[in-house]
Amino acid sequence: MEAQKVDMFIMTNAKYFEGYQIAGIRERLIALEDSKWAMISSVQLKDPTISLIVSILAGHFGIDRFILGDTGLGIAKLLTCGGLGIWTIIDWFLIMGVTREKNMHAIQQLLY
Amino acid sequence: MIRNKLYVLVSTACATGYIWLFINYHRNISESFEPGICLFKRITGIPCPSCGSTRSVLSILKGDFIGALFWNPFGVIIMSILILAPLWILYDIVLRKDSLLQVYNRSEIFLRKKWIAIPLILLVILNWIWNIYKGL
Repeated sequence: MEAQKVDMFIMTNAKYFEGYQIAGIRERLIALEDSKWAMISSVQLKDPTISLIVSILAGHFGIDRFILGDTGLGIAKLLTCGGLGIWTIIDWFLIMGVTREKNMHAIQQLLY
Repeated sequence: MIRNKLYVLVSTACATGYIWLFINYHRNISESFEPGICLFKRITGIPCPSCGSTRSVLSILKGDFIGALFWNPFGVIIMSILILAPLWILYDIVLRKDSLLQVYNRSEIFLRKKWIAIPLILLVILNWIWNIYKGL
């Protein structure tokens, strides 16, 4: 793909990924065929900030984990009062990283 | 979810659960209406959907199943997980299998279906309303 197009994509979507992943994504995108552009640009990426807000407001019920697709962990969190309240607080710090990992996972299936 | 990560998570959770039960075992169940560890209840004063599950599990341990259902039906689920999960993990480790992981992944996909998820969410909300009504 054209470098300009890829740089545009990186610029608008950098916040959805971990910093160390960006260079790799850029390299893979440049090597990718043009026909995959439509799929790449329509991938549903989850916003880490939104997850953090959900985690702070409703993390106690495991809603943050349900939204990210970790249904099992969500149920565990719901059943145990947010892991006795400790897991809730731990997740306030983990959830943004988890969201970025999930985004990476989603786009990886198209990149490789 | 990776096999070892899931197994470490589940065994940590079970160990914490057993320690929590051990700490609370000698509490007098019928008089324990004061706010416990639940963050939500301490902040808002309203019980959360899973408030009362410690008392429920303790009731089962003391042989009172009806009381367990009254405190919180979640306690029955938690108790069965607490008993089953360690045995299942032990079985998988000894035989070098990953049956728990497979069941976990399959049930995650199953639970995400709309006609399964929506009734379950409704049940949780109903249980929550019941909890507030009971004033746990």
